[in-house]
Amino acid sequence: MTAKDKGEASGAEQQLIRELADLLNETGLSEIEIEKSGLKIRVARTIAIQSTVPAAATAVAAATAAEAKPAAVDPAKHPGVVKSPMVGTAYRAPEPGAPTFIEVGASVSQGDTLLIIEAMKTMNQIPAPHSGKVKAILFENGQPVEFGEPLVIIE
Amino acid sequence: MFDKVLIANRGEIALRIQRACKELGIATVAVHSTADADAMHVRLADESVCIGPPPAAESYLNIPRLLAACEITGADAVHPGYGFLSENARFAEILEEHQITFIGPTSEHIRMMGDKITAKETAKKLGIPVVPGSDGPVTSEPEAMKVAKLMGFPVLIKATAGGGGRGMKVAHTPADLGLALSTARSEAKAAFGNDQVYIEKYLKAPRHIEVQVFGDGQGNAIHLGERDCSLQRRHQKVWEEAPSPALNATARAKIGEIVAEAMRNLKYRGAGTVEFLYEDGEFYFIEMNTRLQVEHPVTEAITGIDLVLEQLHVAAGGHLVHRQKDITFSGHAIECRINAENPQTFRPSPGQITYWHPPGGLGVRVDSGVYQGYRIPPYYDSLIGKLIVHGKTRNECLMRLKRALSEFVIDGIETTIPLFNDLIRQPDIANGLYDIHWLEKYLDKS
Repeated sequence: MTAKDKGEASGAEQQLIRELADLLNETGLSEIEIEKSGLKIRVARTIAIQSTVPAAATAVAAATAAEAKPAAVDPAKHPGVVKSPMVGTAYRAPEPGAPTFIEVGASVSQGDTLLIIEAMKTMNQIPAPHSGKVKAILFENGQPVEFGEPLVIIE
Repeated sequence: MFDKVLIANRGEIALRIQRACKELGIATVAVHSTADADAMHVRLADESVCIGPPPAAESYLNIPRLLAACEITGADAVHPGYGFLSENARFAEILEEHQITFIGPTSEHIRMMGDKITAKETAKKLGIPVVPGSDGPVTSEPEAMKVAKLMGFPVLIKATAGGGGRGMKVAHTPADLGLALSTARSEAKAAFGNDQVYIEKYLKAPRHIEVQVFGDGQGNAIHLGERDCSLQRRHQKVWEEAPSPALNATARAKIGEIVAEAMRNLKYRGAGTVEFLYEDGEFYFIEMNTRLQVEHPVTEAITGIDLVLEQLHVAAGGHLVHRQKDITFSGHAIECRINAENPQTFRPSPGQITYWHPPGGLGVRVDSGVYQGYRIPPYYDSLIGKLIVHGKTRNECLMRLKRALSEFVIDGIETTIPLFNDLIRQPDIANGLYDIHWLEKYLDKS
């Protein structure tokens, strides 16, 4: 049996396929198809697999998250978040042993002191930027904090 | 040795410092603005502290925030890099008051060299050659003529209150002096409200040659050779090389010893660079930078010495381990500063790097904090990386540079790589025949 009978491409056809492949690369097309004398040849660039994998990955991740407890909202993006305006050490109370400024559930008015940040021996009172109820306190007493760090959520 | 160093800088130099600290087993703290939260050195450092919003005044230049970051991390030393607070004497003083080591010279030496007039006077006292001048204002034409004839024409008449390249007039011959003097005076009066002028020798086509020095603050100091940084655009260095194509070993040893001896007398501590204009075989002091410089890698390439490691060593109280006779110069090195700018208009091109493939191979070094996917913030200078190549000879170095540039891929932003591709093909560059005006003349022509 000839190669052609077995359905394999002949030398001329292989050459044609090579030329089509080169044309594909040169022109940046993703697919070329020609048909003549009953012979149809299609040369296609391998479709990028990565477009499907991330979708699958995120689908898996979303599924896992859904199975787990409801995913926690990133506190930094909460509309009621109060972020640190400075670098220093955050304290819950005006001095050791004194009652804390706020606890979860407390109502605060705009301007009320929420916490103190100490930097270089100076104590800086951090006021509530808006009124509301303290939903979450995101730092421990005596924790070093950086600029922009979420400290408290007031809803 | 320090336990923990806070890196008070950003970009490629912050990564450079991070690397040296890691090699000495020192813990690192990267401080950064919100815009630099994804910087490579921030990712690699042991700890990071966000110190403010993007503007430098509220972050990298903010002394209280830097101090607070030292406090909460327990850093025992700060490396200021270059730019920002690296030559801020007050910052150095404040750190010392808080028992935190400033990795650099004393605040006294920073101050001394920060004031250009004091620096020149100090240089003179230390025996460093300076641009000959009138040593004070000139008040009459006969006085000016006397001074000018002593120095030799052409001379430059400069407004005492001037600056930024303004308030200067050249008198090429004695016949020009009278007119140049009166014009300079009236322009100075109009522009600065002060018609006081002084005279300096005018250098027509000098080269910028700087000498790297290093001291341990205990009276020991050495020089590590020179760098030729003549290729500049608007006073910004673009291409630096070591050694200078213009100097031979004798000239190098002579100027090197003059500055090293000056540093011994000063008891200078740390890295420093003494910058000169060089013309007709003479050196003229312009200024001294009391910090590490951007182009330090070319010196590292030809001496084999890690300058940041040495800075850490002497800042921690170590003696200078190298003596002048231990310093050898091997081969040639060239650095190209890669900026995120259009290579013709030099317009800044911030944005996201979609493809990053740096060159490699023997004698090729890329110092850069960027990576594929990194977004260059628009708030800071446009330097995104330095390509440094080393070869056994200047020719080998140039061939290697050509090869390395051809491999360098940076997509997504515009860079000045095409400029370097053009420069290496210029006969003047290949022959090392350029001065401080060369690059701007070349750019004007294209």
